Amino acid sequence: MTTNRIIRGGMRHRILALAGAAALLAAACGGGTASPTPGATAAPPSAAGPSAAPVSSPDVGYTGPEATITYSIWGDPAEIKSQQAVVDAFHAVNPKITVKVTVSDWDTYWDKLQTGIAGGDAPDVFAMDGPLYPDYQSRDVLLDLKPYIDRTGYDLGQLADEAVADFTTADGQFGLPRDLNIVVLYYNKAMFDAAGVAYPDDTWDWAKLVEVGKQLTIDTNGDGKTDQWGFYTETSDMENYWSSLVWQNGGDIIAPDRKSTLLGSDAAVGGLQFLQDLIWKEKVMPEPAAFAEIGDAFEQGKAAMEANGSWLVPTHLAAGINLGIAPLPKGPAGRATSINPTGAVVYKGSKSPDAAWEFVKYLASPAAQTRLMELKASLPANKEVLAGPYSASFDGAKVLADAIAYAHIKPSFRGYNDFTTALQTELDANVFNEPSKTARQAIDDVLAALNGILAGQ
Amino acid sequence: MTSLRRPAARRGGPLGGEGRWALLFLAPTILGLTVLSAGPILATLGISLTKWDLLRPPQFVGFDNFVQLAHDDRFLKALRNTIFYTVVSVPLGLTVSLGLALALNQTIRGIAWIRTAYFLPVVTSTIAIALVWQWIYAPDAGLLNQVLGLVGIPGRKWLIDPTLAMPSIVIMSVWQGLGTNIIIFLAGLQAIPSELLDAASVDGAGRWARFRNVVLPLLTPSMFFTGVLSLIGSFQVFDQIYVLSRPRPTDATITVVYFIYENGFKFFKMGYASAASWILFIIVAVFTAVYFRSQGRWVHYQ
Repeated sequence: MTTNRIIRGGMRHRILALAGAAALLAAACGGGTASPTPGATAAPPSAAGPSAAPVSSPDVGYTGPEATITYSIWGDPAEIKSQQAVVDAFHAVNPKITVKVTVSDWDTYWDKLQTGIAGGDAPDVFAMDGPLYPDYQSRDVLLDLKPYIDRTGYDLGQLADEAVADFTTADGQFGLPRDLNIVVLYYNKAMFDAAGVAYPDDTWDWAKLVEVGKQLTIDTNGDGKTDQWGFYTETSDMENYWSSLVWQNGGDIIAPDRKSTLLGSDAAVGGLQFLQDLIWKEKVMPEPAAFAEIGDAFEQGKAAMEANGSWLVPTHLAAGINLGIAPLPKGPAGRATSINPTGAVVYKGSKSPDAAWEFVKYLASPAAQTRLMELKASLPANKEVLAGPYSASFDGAKVLADAIAYAHIKPSFRGYNDFTTALQTELDANVFNEPSKTARQAIDDVLAALNGILAGQ
Repeated sequence: MTSLRRPAARRGGPLGGEGRWALLFLAPTILGLTVLSAGPILATLGISLTKWDLLRPPQFVGFDNFVQLAHDDRFLKALRNTIFYTVVSVPLGLTVSLGLALALNQTIRGIAWIRTAYFLPVVTSTIAIALVWQWIYAPDAGLLNQVLGLVGIPGRKWLIDPTLAMPSIVIMSVWQGLGTNIIIFLAGLQAIPSELLDAASVDGAGRWARFRNVVLPLLTPSMFFTGVLSLIGSFQVFDQIYVLSRPRPTDATITVVYFIYENGFKFFKMGYASAASWILFIIVAVFTAVYFRSQGRWVHYQ
């Protein structure tokens, strides 16, 4: 739930390093004055997007009275700047709507949101994490955007389908995706070159990962302790790597009705076991405790490969790593990775729902998405921007964009925090941090509790 | 408007106008306590009898939450950890700070600076302190393991090993809290009249006898006061846990307040969290009451 956000929070230390990115942003702002009116789905200057043929839109934009709306997000300084630039550009094309941005760190964000809703004083528009969406939507606090979509003829087809689906519920559309997070294999080209090993590519499978991982796990000074690890990932959240391993092994995590877990299957357990083996049997990856307090081993130049999310691209680049990006190695059941959208949702009690809708729509527009993309921290949800400018924006971006084709959506269900806390407490303590149980024993021990949580929702 | 005259008539009474002044000066606190503490406390009692996700109206469920808590292994573990933390950190903290206060109660050059140094952790945010201790406790590159390594002792996973995690947090917290206790003890020590100590010396009392029979008894009010503060504070231990055991406490370090926070704000179980906070409230009240009743047996007011 929080690991990746903490890593993203860790970017705080790199504000200076990101000054370059800020310059890019400034450039983007300068060019933004000519952005098209929201809703008008004209193609951006760069691309002839074949998929998004402009719909004959009856959308005339915002016609209501002057309004001020609040927009709450979590994020680090770089994201905040970027979002503020988007808000300013929105105000330039919608002078009748003023948007006030409030920002919190990940944990505070949710505390404030819940107390705000309880007190009837929630932000009009707020960021929503895919997995937590059902916990909010099912409690009837989000505005159904379907009537607005129908009324303005908004084309949902211009946004990544999986991401749109994550905010779709049987009775409506309760948000639009803003950006996507996807998991890939990062590699340090310098370390591969030094060892004379070929870079990872799309032919790689689990066995190859272990084989090369061993080649690149090196005790450089001969003191009996490993100085360079072949591989690194985080184990404390399914998104970082292990959910992908479960899927690559033919397993799954949550039943389609979201009332029970499928982690008890041999295929699912096999995925978890592979990760335990990378640490404790193959020893190509440091035990999680070794880096728990000091951060990412790959970023610090102590590991040659890392399976992790797209949010780490700016961090790794800022660390000066000669960065390569490849698809995750295939498992016995084929290729799979994890995709997790962040959406923008509207509070049901909003006093200015029309203005809020106008803004949510703008956040998903090519103009806003192009700006957001400059951060390199996430993938744009807008198909045109994704296929065009994003894929060409940095070395490896296309690998990230292409991964969407075989990605599974990060499980999203009621009781998500409760479930993952119970599950990870068991896995961290007994499978990953210490190999005191096999993945099978641990899952068997926690299965009843997990199903109890899901059934109790 | 006859009431206006009444104070004049009362002026000669026991407290007279002073009583009113006292009330006036107490008013901000009384008002604050009623509105900001008593109100919410009573509200939690109501909430603890409901199932409430904070987002929709609460449903009344009677004592279900309390029954469920009694069978919740995680809560029981949090309770055990919290009691362990309190039982170890309070006596340890008091003993160490008393020793340091005695050492600091000297007239040597630079003593003010040394006292300030001990007080620094108190005015430093727990978050900052916890981050520094995180580096001290880190398994590989951590300061503690590096130092141990120099003398040939193998490093440990201080915050992860289930038997070491809680003691490690106790040590950090005791260190952090030393300053407050030391200040109170120093004030207590300096309030001891030197005539009493001189008289004891004249009667032939040695250093230990003077400490045991004069200093210690006269310090008991200070000990009682720091004791009650530490006791209540310890039961509410949260921020160290929150920072040191990220991303979540392994259950080795979960405490009751963390449990309350997690259930209330992460699991959408505000009713359950309120019930847990009432159990904590009752436990703290019982401990404090017992502690206060023990006062007569060991606390000596001059």
